Amino acid sequence: MDASIIIQIALGGILLGGLYAMVAFGLSLIYGVARILNFAHGTLLAVGGVAASAIFTATAWNPLLIMALLVPVLGLFGYVFYDKLLQPLTKRSHFEYTVGSVLVTVGALLILSDVAAWIAGPAPRNIPLRFEAMEFGDVIVSTTQAWILGGIIVFTIVLHFYIKKSWFGRAMRAVTQDHTGATICGVQADRVHALTFAFGSGIVAIAAVLYTMLFPVDPYMGFSLTVKAFTIIILGGIGNLVGALIAGIFLGLAEGFTSFFWATQWAPAISIVLLLVILVIFPQGFGWRKSK
Amino acid sequence: MSNYRYWLGGAFVLAALALIPTSGSAYTTTLLFTMLISYTLAQSWDWVGGEAGYINLAHFAFYGIGAYAFCLSLLNGIPIALCFVIAVVVTSIVALVVSFPLFRLRGDYFAFATLAILPLTELLAFNFDFTGGADGVVLPPKYVLFEAYYLAIGLVGLTAIATVWLIRTRFGYALKAIRNDEEAAEICGIRIFPAKSGVLIMSAGFASLAGALQGWQLSYIDPTTVFGLDVALIPIAMALLGGSGLLWGAVVGVIILSLFNQLLIVSLPILQTAIFGLLLLLIGRYMPGGLLRSGIIRNNRWIGFLGREHDRFVKATAGVTMTDGLPLPKQSDMKGQPVLECRNLTMAFGGNVAVDNISLTINAGEIVGLVGTNGSGKTTLFNCISKVFEQKSGDIIFLGQNLAGARRDDASKLGIGRTFQIPQPFSDLTVAENIAMPLMYRGAVSASLPDALGLATQFAEYVGLTDHLSARADSLNLQQKKALELARALACRPRLLLVDEVASGLTPMEVRNFVNHIRELRDNYGITIIWVEHIFSALAQVVDRVIVMEQGSIIADGPLDDVVRDERVLRTYLGSAAPEAV
Repeated sequence: MDASIIIQIALGGILLGGLYAMVAFGLSLIYGVARILNFAHGTLLAVGGVAASAIFTATAWNPLLIMALLVPVLGLFGYVFYDKLLQPLTKRSHFEYTVGSVLVTVGALLILSDVAAWIAGPAPRNIPLRFEAMEFGDVIVSTTQAWILGGIIVFTIVLHFYIKKSWFGRAMRAVTQDHTGATICGVQADRVHALTFAFGSGIVAIAAVLYTMLFPVDPYMGFSLTVKAFTIIILGGIGNLVGALIAGIFLGLAEGFTSFFWATQWAPAISIVLLLVILVIFPQGFGWRKSK
Repeated sequence: MSNYRYWLGGAFVLAALALIPTSGSAYTTTLLFTMLISYTLAQSWDWVGGEAGYINLAHFAFYGIGAYAFCLSLLNGIPIALCFVIAVVVTSIVALVVSFPLFRLRGDYFAFATLAILPLTELLAFNFDFTGGADGVVLPPKYVLFEAYYLAIGLVGLTAIATVWLIRTRFGYALKAIRNDEEAAEICGIRIFPAKSGVLIMSAGFASLAGALQGWQLSYIDPTTVFGLDVALIPIAMALLGGSGLLWGAVVGVIILSLFNQLLIVSLPILQTAIFGLLLLLIGRYMPGGLLRSGIIRNNRWIGFLGREHDRFVKATAGVTMTDGLPLPKQSDMKGQPVLECRNLTMAFGGNVAVDNISLTINAGEIVGLVGTNGSGKTTLFNCISKVFEQKSGDIIFLGQNLAGARRDDASKLGIGRTFQIPQPFSDLTVAENIAMPLMYRGAVSASLPDALGLATQFAEYVGLTDHLSARADSLNLQQKKALELARALACRPRLLLVDEVASGLTPMEVRNFVNHIRELRDNYGITIIWVEHIFSALAQVVDRVIVMEQGSIIADGPLDDVVRDERVLRTYLGSAAPEAV
């Protein structure tokens, strides 16, 4: 076995895992704050990626520009989605709140993917932008990969400190720990909920553009991403971004090596089996920092 | 309310359905067949979702497993009747196996896990050779629509009977208790795991028959049609649209959504999935409680009956009594003998030792006051005795029996009743149903549902809740909830009653009443009582002795008059001015 192949696969796995982690960040914040299982979250990446690819095909803009366009659009979508469709459910009983939010987010999932497929076609697509390759001995790294890897690391660090230090970050953490308590202390919980949806959806927009530069996206791939993101937040701890990044990279590596050493078609099973195993061993979720 | 009319009506509807194939077109028959299958799926999901309160997103996996088991058996030349049996058995075994890990989880985590199961089964079906991979299973072509249709009618009949049975039986009430509060359900003597596991298996069995029939009728299945996410959530949406937990909920939801879906297929060439998604979204947003719970339906003279909640189906047996006063058995006289012994009992949460090496003995017929500062370990001690927590070390001996490793329902059945400091009623059940719960679940002396509801009225009268018998528990105020706690604890027919701050917040007159109750429970029914309370004047009227706790240890134990003069008690609990207050 050639060591350079292993390194190549590891790099691919780390990149994929980093992108998974970015999807999980938003989901983790949203679940922590609003206690909603947002099944449409991964679909936002799929739809965002399809849109990014379509824009690139039409205009050949710089991906950073596309990102700058998509972040506010998806952010606004997240805000309105929560404010108009989910917030009214908070007044209902716990059971109705739970099933109501399941139906709303699943309904949104179906609508988003079907409409995206209708407009842009169901076929997989990407952003066919290629930078030159860098060679380190036998290992070939494209500059795209290097940029994206750097981007994910910087982004995670910035996000980590933003959530630790900023007013909004502290408000989110306060609401995560105790909704009523935060409200009494003057945090407008409803607004924080909606802003968290906007924030999480905005992160997905960034991830969507990066993802589409490396891997193909199609409108229907979103749900499996959501399952992966759930696995990551349960593995890394709800609200724990560094944990999510580590969990994401672990998952990406596991999938990469499974595909290579065993069989590609079993790779999607890893995240599912991992999720079930963790839940069985740690019924209250896992992670070194529990939300409650 | 006459029962036979329901059965007659139901039989009439099924008979009418049975006539359709002879007069209607194949199209009509197929549509109705789909609706019958959908009803079975929606209703069987609701047994777990609406009754037991567990949102099972993997329900469709059972349907798919049933379909695969049936089709593969049939393909291997097994007689068809046996194929149905195999489908049910295989699926039930899968349900039993997954219920062990799944029911360790609660709430959202249960939903997470079940959500993951569906794509996993789809992946397995895709990747295994014996399932035919992406090609699925193709049965030899044979026109079996009518046969499948008649079997589906039979299946729907069984599903409806099972649903009615669940409304009226102890098993159904165990699920309702679990839905509301599992800890309280166990305290009432319900063994919760077999109930949860049982209802999941029952639900899976019906889903597997639906899958088998569908596979037979289509003579073709593949992973996407039986495990796909977009189809998987439709039965759930149907149950929720009509009204989860209502007898007619699934029926109404299935009729509306099936017809709507059919309309979409016929009239709209594109975006069918999106429109269907929109409908799900609107149901979730505007009526997660269900159409039948809306005022327009409920207040309507003709169709109002569709929205009836479960408690309107069962009548209490009138005039059931065991004795004068409370229907409690007079306990055998064992005055002076120990009822409860704790030996070196220790309970810790992480490094925080809440109960520290406590030894105490409570004798039969005693009323013991348990006092101490907040956080001194009183409630933790109660939680250990009633097995809400398993102690870290030491022994609890109740009536000669060591409670090490016992479950909460064991403790309840042995005769330990308790109230919770923060009331934990079964919120969406009525006061009568709350009290009836333990009456139905006390082993040899358990009552049937109507009898239990009849007996419940006497307990309600005792604590002053007669006017609220048919009110939902979550509509009560705090004092009424505390009264309900006491009534429910008494309905456990305890030999030892643990009372946790029931009197705090009561008016002086209510306190006096309560003290009389406590005394009466001991004098007339021989119940031994441990009472946690801060109101010293109330304790003084009735207790035989007082145990004082401080930081997890007992610092004083003796007659009240001695304890209030104890140096440590004065310093840590009462404060120096206290003796004058008593």
